[in-house]
Amino acid sequence: MVRSKAPSKKQQKKGIDFKKIKRKLGRKLPPPKNATNTEIKSKAIVLPEQSVATNKEGLAVSKKGLTLKELLQQSSHHNAKVRRDALMGIKDLVINHPAELRQHRYAVIEKLRERISDDDKVVREALYQLFKSEIFPGCAEDNQGLFISLLMTYIFNAMTNLAIDIRLMAFKFFDLVVQYYPPCFSLYAEKILQSYEDILRKNQFYLEDKGKLKTTLSGLVRCLSLLPSKKPESEKSISGDRIIHAFEPDTPTANTGFSTIIKKLKELVLVLINCFQDFIPLLNSMPQLDVLSFDCILSMLQSIDIAVRFFIYGIHEETPESICDQTLSSALSKKLLGVFPLYPKHHLSVKEDDRYFILNVVIAAIFLHLRELVCPSANVFEKFLEFIENALLGTICSSTRSGKATWEKHIPLLLPFIPKLASEVQTGWQSRILESFTWTFKDCNPESSLKLACLSMIEEMLIPRGYMHYTKASDTVVLDYQTVWIRELPLLLNLLGDKQPSSSQVVLCLLLRLGQFSGSNPFLFGEYENIQFALSEFYSTCQEGNLYYGPFMRLPRDCQELSICCLYYFSNLNVLLLKSLTFCCLCSELEPFVSFRIIEVLHAAYKAGHIQIVDHISFFMTLLSRFKILPESICPVRESDVKVSNHGTFKSLTAMLCSYLSQMGDSSVVFHIVEKAILGLILLQPPLENACAMLRVLIVLDSKPTLLSEQSIIALSNFLPGYLMDVVHCIPEDDVQTWRYYILPCFFMFDRSSKLLKLVLDVIGSFLTDSNLSLPSDTSTRYATDSLSRINATISLLLLIYKDVKVRKIISSFRTEIGSILQSIASLQSSEVKMTLEERHRFQSSVLEKHFPLVRMVGNQPRGRSSFVGNIEKKYRFS
Amino acid sequence: MNVVLASSSIDGGIGCWDLQTGAEQLRYKTCASPPHGLASIGCRFLACSQLRDPSAASGHVLYWSWSKPQAQVKSFPAEPIKPLAGNSEGSYIVGGGSSGDIYFWEVATGRLLKKWHAHYRAVTCLVFSDDDSLLISGSEDGCVRVWSLFMIFDDVRKQQASHLYEYSFTEHTLRVTDIVMGYGGGNAIIVSASEDRTCKVWSLSRGRLLRNVVFPSIIDAIAIDPGEHVFYAGGRDGKIYIAALNVESTPSNNYGLHIIGSLTDQSKPVTCLAYSAERNLLLSGSEDGMIRVWDVKTKNILRMFRHSKGPVNNILVVRLPYLLSRAEPKVQASSRRNEFSLHPPLEKYANSSDEDMDNRAIITLPDTIDLPSYLSSQLINDHIKQLQQQGSSAAAEMEVKRLKLDGQRSMEMFQQLKKVYDNLQEFCVNELLDGQAIEGSKGK
Repeated sequence: MVRSKAPSKKQQKKGIDFKKIKRKLGRKLPPPKNATNTEIKSKAIVLPEQSVATNKEGLAVSKKGLTLKELLQQSSHHNAKVRRDALMGIKDLVINHPAELRQHRYAVIEKLRERISDDDKVVREALYQLFKSEIFPGCAEDNQGLFISLLMTYIFNAMTNLAIDIRLMAFKFFDLVVQYYPPCFSLYAEKILQSYEDILRKNQFYLEDKGKLKTTLSGLVRCLSLLPSKKPESEKSISGDRIIHAFEPDTPTANTGFSTIIKKLKELVLVLINCFQDFIPLLNSMPQLDVLSFDCILSMLQSIDIAVRFFIYGIHEETPESICDQTLSSALSKKLLGVFPLYPKHHLSVKEDDRYFILNVVIAAIFLHLRELVCPSANVFEKFLEFIENALLGTICSSTRSGKATWEKHIPLLLPFIPKLASEVQTGWQSRILESFTWTFKDCNPESSLKLACLSMIEEMLIPRGYMHYTKASDTVVLDYQTVWIRELPLLLNLLGDKQPSSSQVVLCLLLRLGQFSGSNPFLFGEYENIQFALSEFYSTCQEGNLYYGPFMRLPRDCQELSICCLYYFSNLNVLLLKSLTFCCLCSELEPFVSFRIIEVLHAAYKAGHIQIVDHISFFMTLLSRFKILPESICPVRESDVKVSNHGTFKSLTAMLCSYLSQMGDSSVVFHIVEKAILGLILLQPPLENACAMLRVLIVLDSKPTLLSEQSIIALSNFLPGYLMDVVHCIPEDDVQTWRYYILPCFFMFDRSSKLLKLVLDVIGSFLTDSNLSLPSDTSTRYATDSLSRINATISLLLLIYKDVKVRKIISSFRTEIGSILQSIASLQSSEVKMTLEERHRFQSSVLEKHFPLVRMVGNQPRGRSSFVGNIEKKYRFS
Repeated sequence: MNVVLASSSIDGGIGCWDLQTGAEQLRYKTCASPPHGLASIGCRFLACSQLRDPSAASGHVLYWSWSKPQAQVKSFPAEPIKPLAGNSEGSYIVGGGSSGDIYFWEVATGRLLKKWHAHYRAVTCLVFSDDDSLLISGSEDGCVRVWSLFMIFDDVRKQQASHLYEYSFTEHTLRVTDIVMGYGGGNAIIVSASEDRTCKVWSLSRGRLLRNVVFPSIIDAIAIDPGEHVFYAGGRDGKIYIAALNVESTPSNNYGLHIIGSLTDQSKPVTCLAYSAERNLLLSGSEDGMIRVWDVKTKNILRMFRHSKGPVNNILVVRLPYLLSRAEPKVQASSRRNEFSLHPPLEKYANSSDEDMDNRAIITLPDTIDLPSYLSSQLINDHIKQLQQQGSSAAAEMEVKRLKLDGQRSMEMFQQLKKVYDNLQEFCVNELLDGQAIEGSKGK
């Protein structure tokens, strides 16, 4: 404004310089004699507050230096410009001083509400902006009921104003109020619907100003969507900390009194239908369906849709039949459903196709809601079925990207009716509908919401809710499609990967429900069993020796939990799936908690008879023997390794498996199954940890005297010496806890079978003969390979044995074996074969300090000192 | 006399111990029960479903009377029955089948009154509410369902309704292992445990989940404290966790939200729990065949019973009939025989002919002589009698008081008269002496 004025002023000035001003000359008529003197003379008015000197310091002022009070006064000024300026000033003031608004909000509202029905368009617009941007957000957290009631009277007043613009603006205001305070609709529902009805009846205006109609209608859609409906029942939140028996105040339900508005709503629907009907010829005359008219029609249809839904599913006393009486149903079927489908007269653009598609979808949805009440003729019904089929197949929509997007967005509107339709129409249509539905399910983007909608429909069709009368299983058409859907699920799971955990969760939930339900239906039972093959890929796959982990490993915990639960319901878990689960459990990246959970659930499944005992035990054995310990060697457990080390995990895994195995039933039977497997594995020389775990399993299941067979005792006697020496070699002597953990199983075995002990001692003795020592590559030990360390290890081992009271008692009956071992150590000492000086020195210093106390201990046996002990002692004394 | 009854999944019979003294009672023979398969029917006799090898087509339910170790009635229902429950009076028995059906028998006649398909998979536990109007069942498919017996027996409403159950709680993902119910009939809470490592608390009045407690291990058994402050959950890791119901719990503790402590004995997995309200004792059965009696206040073990080698999977605490505990063998034997001749075995199929329905008694109340008399009318009579007696003694007391008062009064009278006579005598004596003195002086 200011800029455009400036040049014109300049021109004027130019003119003033040169232009001669013409003055009209001549006489004037004298004033009439009886004229009244209208001149008012007054002396100066003194307004102390308004003088420049007014002290406004400390008060919140706008840019123009006015306080809130002054601005509010000005807002009712007779000049529109001043009013607008005042509103702008208030906005400005509120932005800078938010506290001011909070303090005086009621005063502000009381003053400003008068402006809702302001004559001037600009003022109204400014007021709307002020409310929208400042006042509502600023007062959001307050008690809004009072606040709103202050406004509503003026809004209603404006709604009945004569000027159409003011009325439209009032609807806009109301829309704003509803946005910030939804309950206000239920408070004034009847009055509001009446107002909408009135304005929509004035059909001369909407054909002219579609933009305003559009805003009004969108407001209506918003209001109607607040109508209560039975359908959504997903209100389930557990308050965590609450005390269970605590007193709970009754919260008043917001949706009381909706029953009364049904009549009004019915009238409104009739008006909307008329409105829609008026639009139809317009559409035909227009060359093209423009955005505005499309939006208007869409809003109308949506409003009708919501109203119809409220009639049928809403919470009120009246039955749907009594609401949809003759007038309503005939109007609906003639004027709305009669014109279906809408199609473009002049085919121009693909966009237009999509628009018509959307409108048709909404009409079809309305029809499907009303189907039972209206009782359409077969002809009409056929028409709709055809449309639904085509819509699902995607043939109506354009194939462009935007067309596809529209399709994905609007098809879910039709999906909820599919289960009912499929169960009610004749066989020919049934297969066509199901076919097209299956096509939709397969074709849509796995991450889209359409997929989720399809999944929920599939759940409804597979698992009947409520009372369990299952549709006759002989229905082959349905069964075929059910098979397709079920087989698609694991593939979908793999396709989703870990990109969208929420979708994966939905699929897994469906699988779980299917598993729970499958017990009662032989067909589903078989299909669910078959899923296993495809599902194993979800966990891990092994191809040509390479291991590929599936999405299971990367999904969040709750999805993992769900997928583990699914395993329980396979009535016969096959080996392939079990194998892929084993790989997952063995993977070091998987959290220990999850792998424990897998084992736990699989054991529960075994208990329920869903896994063969052989498979189950071999699963356990594989875990024990193949579990990779990190870091590799047990010996130096440094502080820094504690974090990466998974020793603790493996220990608890061993304990868990031991307790499961002991719970499996008659332990002697289980022992015989396990014995063979373990001995086979042990002879492969597994790492110490795994060997220890397997020995532990054996002793848990064994009893005294031992159940081990002759053969296995011999096999063990070849294995144990090496194992024992390795343990002693690797674990520092002061780490009592650790070596007890590794050696205790052996002690138990010795306790149960003295024969084993004898054999073991023999083998240890034979290690120390010259010929064996010289053999550098002996495979019976992994760590203690050189002769020096082997001698060392033997001595420490014997020391350990003698420290343990119980084993010492057992070993006392094997004096000859011990004696020969000591003898050979002593003789080694003297023989000095192939040793450099340095080696010899080391040997002396390390062996001697240990050997001597050992000999002492052996010598202190109750039977007195035997001659060779004396000999050995002598030898040391002299050397 | 309160006794502890325990059975196991391998044949060790049903052990029976006196809770007070710890003395072992009669052991009932040949019983291998599934979890929740043991039930005392109205404290009159024991019923237990039997584990059978999976190939067996029919189930097996045995009855024992209290006095004899041998099973006295054997019935063979149409399919293997796992959980068994009786209502509090002992007039009905409910069994859960392995196909998900629930069977409802009348004890007195053995008739199968109702059978309905309740779950998709095998039923694992059954619980009656206090007032016997609701039945709660848990299943292998993770579903907990609440059945109203009014609905089950109302054929008209059954046809109208879309489903038979009152509520169906499907939040558990794996097998439901145990259900317990609080007090308050239709307004009570129920707690369910499952193999998904959670226990969930439900409200029966509102039909929704109130609380979800996640445990560190699978929970196989739960018991609720009579005050409903906490519940006890026996885990497969051998611990009995204490979870808060009504007490405030500190959010940061060792086990997780709502779990406020544990009872531990370094033992094998806990398989069943029972609560004895009389002395606030918690009984836990374990995989190693032991039954431990805990004092819940001190968290100490008071006593241990050894049942068998195999896992204990049922514990009941039952108040034995009065007569039995008094051990009067003759009377007992004859009465038992009578009673047992009344209970025919459970029928296999529902009989469609309802003619004899009216002829037979539906509820047979137990003989009142057998029970310790807690009937209110009898109690009141006793009290009145006692009061009367007390009243007469009071009257006597009053009489004594009155008599005492009388005696006191007569004593006073007596004293007064005595005084008068004394005065009179003194006067006379003085008179006489004075007279003599005058005479003497005169005589002088």
